[in-house]
Amino acid sequence: MRRAIIREQQARGRKAVAVLPVHYPKPLLTAMDILAVELWGPPGPPRGPDAGRLQAYVCAVARNALAFLAAGHADVVDGVLFPHTCDSIQGLATLAPDFGGWGKPCFRYIQPKGEERPSSRAFVRAELESLAAELAVLTGKSLETAALRRALELHTEIDRLRAALLDGRARLAMTDRELYGLLRRGEFLWPEDHLQELKAATGRLAAEGSAPVQTDLPIMITGYVPEPMTLFDHLRAAGAYVAADDYAGIGRRVLRVPVGEDDVVSERSERSARPEAPPRPRPVSDPFVALVRQSFEAPPCSTRSANQDRRLEYLVGLYRRSRCAGLVVHVPKFCEPELFDVPAIRARFAAEGVPLLYLEGELEADLSAQAQTRIDAFCEMVAAQRRRGGRAAGGTRGGATGGTRSGATGGEA
Amino acid sequence: MITRRVQYELIARAAGPLLMTINRWQGDLKRAVRRVTGRGPARKAAPFGPPLESTRKLKDLMTMHYLTGRYADGAVPVAWVTSGFPVEILRPSGFFTVYPENHGAVCAVRRMVPELSEAVEKQGYSRDLCAYARCDLGSVVTGKTPAGRLPRPDLLACCTNICQTVLYWYRALAEHFKVPLVLVDTPFVYGEAKPHHLQYVRDQLHELRTVAERVSGNHVAPEELEEILKVSLAGTRLWDACLKTGRTKPSPWTGFDSFIHLAPIVSMRGTEECNAYYRILLDELQDRARRGVPGIANERVRLLWDNLPIWFNLRELATLLAEHGFNFVCTTYTNAWAEAGGLIDPADPEGSATRAYIHVILNRDLPNKLRTMKRMCTEYDVQGAILHSDRSCKPYSIGQIDLKDRLAQELGIKALILEACHADQRAYASEQGEMRIRAFMESFDQATPS
Amino acid sequence: MSDAAKAVALGVDAGSTTWKAVAIDATGAIVASLVEPAEPRIGAQTERAVAVLRTQAGADAAVPLGATGYGRKRVAAARSLTEITCHARGAFARMRRPGVLIDVGGQDTKVIRIGAAGDVADFSMNDKCAAGTGRFLEVILGRLHVPLGEVAAFAARAERSVLVSSTCTVFAESEVVSLVAEGQPVEGIVKGLHAALASRVAALAGTMPQDGGVFMSGGVALNPAMVEALAGALGRRVEIVPDPQLVGALGAALAVRP
Ligand code: SF4
Ligand code: SF4
Repeated sequence: MRRAIIREQQARGRKAVAVLPVHYPKPLLTAMDILAVELWGPPGPPRGPDAGRLQAYVCAVARNALAFLAAGHADVVDGVLFPHTCDSIQGLATLAPDFGGWGKPCFRYIQPKGEERPSSRAFVRAELESLAAELAVLTGKSLETAALRRALELHTEIDRLRAALLDGRARLAMTDRELYGLLRRGEFLWPEDHLQELKAATGRLAAEGSAPVQTDLPIMITGYVPEPMTLFDHLRAAGAYVAADDYAGIGRRVLRVPVGEDDVVSERSERSARPEAPPRPRPVSDPFVALVRQSFEAPPCSTRSANQDRRLEYLVGLYRRSRCAGLVVHVPKFCEPELFDVPAIRARFAAEGVPLLYLEGELEADLSAQAQTRIDAFCEMVAAQRRRGGRAAGGTRGGATGGTRSGATGGEA
Repeated sequence: MITRRVQYELIARAAGPLLMTINRWQGDLKRAVRRVTGRGPARKAAPFGPPLESTRKLKDLMTMHYLTGRYADGAVPVAWVTSGFPVEILRPSGFFTVYPENHGAVCAVRRMVPELSEAVEKQGYSRDLCAYARCDLGSVVTGKTPAGRLPRPDLLACCTNICQTVLYWYRALAEHFKVPLVLVDTPFVYGEAKPHHLQYVRDQLHELRTVAERVSGNHVAPEELEEILKVSLAGTRLWDACLKTGRTKPSPWTGFDSFIHLAPIVSMRGTEECNAYYRILLDELQDRARRGVPGIANERVRLLWDNLPIWFNLRELATLLAEHGFNFVCTTYTNAWAEAGGLIDPADPEGSATRAYIHVILNRDLPNKLRTMKRMCTEYDVQGAILHSDRSCKPYSIGQIDLKDRLAQELGIKALILEACHADQRAYASEQGEMRIRAFMESFDQATPS
Repeated sequence: MSDAAKAVALGVDAGSTTWKAVAIDATGAIVASLVEPAEPRIGAQTERAVAVLRTQAGADAAVPLGATGYGRKRVAAARSLTEITCHARGAFARMRRPGVLIDVGGQDTKVIRIGAAGDVADFSMNDKCAAGTGRFLEVILGRLHVPLGEVAAFAARAERSVLVSSTCTVFAESEVVSLVAEGQPVEGIVKGLHAALASRVAALAGTMPQDGGVFMSGGVALNPAMVEALAGALGRRVEIVPDPQLVGALGAALAVRP
């Protein structure tokens, strides 16, 4: 299916670039007529003779990607973009092109880590310009300011609709499987086509203020990538649905604050404290400024090594707003960025009295029986607590409930 | 503050050396008792050459360093620093520096990592995270350390040129101690460093100077920084010269010795004490090389070691290899501190520090790593390599499977991949590891009829 | 099984290694029970064995059946709940107070915090490796040729415990082999193995609330050496839930008790 879509876009004179997780300046690619096709694994055990070139203690995302590229499954695209997400992708970005596995053009997008600083602001801008120049070699034409401006508008609209669907989840007549399926089509569709699908889906959103159409247990999930997607079937069978999303690949990439082209540093703290603030377009001067701002304004993500307090505030805010009754932490085994945030998330949500389920995954095709049992048991526990608490929904619970730990030994999914 | 300072100076100058003498005396006593009673680990000296005299001085130096550290907080500003951090920028402001990685190595040698790690595994830290990070955080939480006590930091200084892990780890430290964290974020170098990548690091060094001055309250004149850089450069060159004595046949020491003697260049870089020590070591090594005094008794096969050492198993591994006449004459790990630091140019402090610290081996692509390894294989004339595939350290380990094949194809080097962890013995099956090493050694004897 | 007519509910715990079932009376007391090795076809096994149990307990088809365990979804039951919820209920019914329940099973190990109302306040489970489970002991004891029935006696004879540092089954196996080769006493190794497993389970338990008891259920609870090792690792007294193997089935029965 992806192959056909890629071919169709190429037939229109566009280039296609495979992109590794997580964050990259997508509007820039769109503006340059480049279709981004994201490579999240793909799920299942790593296939092909090159799977063994990365040790088994490297995450499945990186291992599967190498096996996939080296097996020639991505030959249809014109290049690969490696965002600087973590040590593993950083290594993959030299292993595949330099030692075999990828022979076509290769791009890297380095993203500054840690807090926003004057140096990192200046750097993002220079890095964006440098990437644009490299991509121009691939496309044979340079970036036009007007095109970038249009692309920014297009992606702002896409984000607005994604935010509407996610934030209005309780009023949306779709299963998790359908919603995630739709959102994840954005990983490979031409953005304008994705926009049309999103628009159609907003039709299934009941009016604000109307009774929720989702009556199952509202759960929040934080994690990396929603794989395996059967997770949602198991949740549904256990009587729960995802009312709030913080997957790196989904919710953490939805800019809830439209970023204009004026430098708006001074308003940053005020805005991040109110992520639900209504969209307010800003005057136009330089679209690159907006791209730079987006890099700092996105929801806090472990892979950017965002400020932890800010991330916890964001998560707790999201949890409360969505009136959730429990939190599932679903992270890839061996993923340093995600794993390092787990203790703080545990501690913070335990202090809030929120029940928590920890699942570790390796991009398997389906959840193990043990993981399914844990999801079932978690939902039984949350439902029982809710009944006893007699509370309408979520928010803070006092006292007795701690997090569901799978202990130091980690869990599985 | 004043009394604390007096205490610190007193320890550093007078009481410390005295205490150390007592410690050493006690150690001698213990050893003597052991000899008499025949209990405790018997040291078979056989496979090794005469021990290095300098080792005792090294012990004194490091004991002194940790001892002084116990009294440092409150007396002088204290910074906890990653091994690849441009520490020269901090030194002129008078910071006492603590290297958690070096401390982690000490914990690992004493096999304390599982115990310390468990303390934070309970908080949800996964065992799949770097053992140095787990061990250090565990030490902070429990207050347990083989050093007696580590001084509380006023500043955390982190540079991502070795890995991203350090940033996550130091952020947790910053959260625990509620002190500022300075970051030098070094874009990974694919091929050549791009000008704006260098500029970014340079800007950060500039930001760092401001923070260092603010936290320490000491204003730094440009000459002071130049002076430190000179000292640091000299230290790097001395260390490099020490390593290069390994080119002699037989090598006057072993790679395992070099792991131990690495401590000062990692954690005291830019100080006179560090350089003074390496002058002594270099003299001894050069003298041994001249007189043909070997690191191991019967050096038959020369090897290269890649990645961090397996600290908790260092002695066993060294003995096993030495018994069969195998010697590590070079390691990419110890070499890392001899290499990039050479780019320092006191005349251009920020510019050259930028180049030096962005070009460390862990921050560069695999072709560079292969080039370095090949060069070392040739210069040190090795026949084999052990690539320690370190579960704890992904940035160092990714690519090793290809590197092994290329060393074999391009130089005919026999290589073994040994999966372990540098600090957590729970992740290493020592029996299986030993068996693999024995098989590896046997393969040489089949190939080269003696 | 004296007064079987009183049976008001049945519970089945279809585990991965053993199949267990109980019949209870209105007070929640067990009036009949069955324990069998698990068969691959859980549905058929349940059908057959439940019929036997019904006869034993004098429970006709109207007496409801609750199911739990790994194979619960393949059992025709009035209600099916996870082992976690059922173990909490079963243990609470027997111990009558809140606490932490540790269930070391063949394939997985659960630590469940039981709240004041017999509810699940929190739980954790081991990951997919066998390190913290009964399987760990089984594999390595097999290697040492120590019959399962004599494990406790072996450990009790040990003068001191030999340190086994690996908790990974594969690593520990080779470690144990070399300990034997070194001439370490098997008794001490057996004791050391229990300590290694206990530390793993203790890690799973994490920091536990100091109020309430520590209970143990599952087949491994019948091994006094393990109970002792666990108590040592936790620094707390460990109480065995009566009929430790039946706790899950009891909870399943309680869940459908009219
Ligand atoms: S899952 Fe984690 S470790 Fe793996 S590629 Fe993604 S960010 Fe990196
Ligand atoms: S061992 Fe590797 S991952 Fe750990 S701190 Fe050092 S470089 Fe980073």
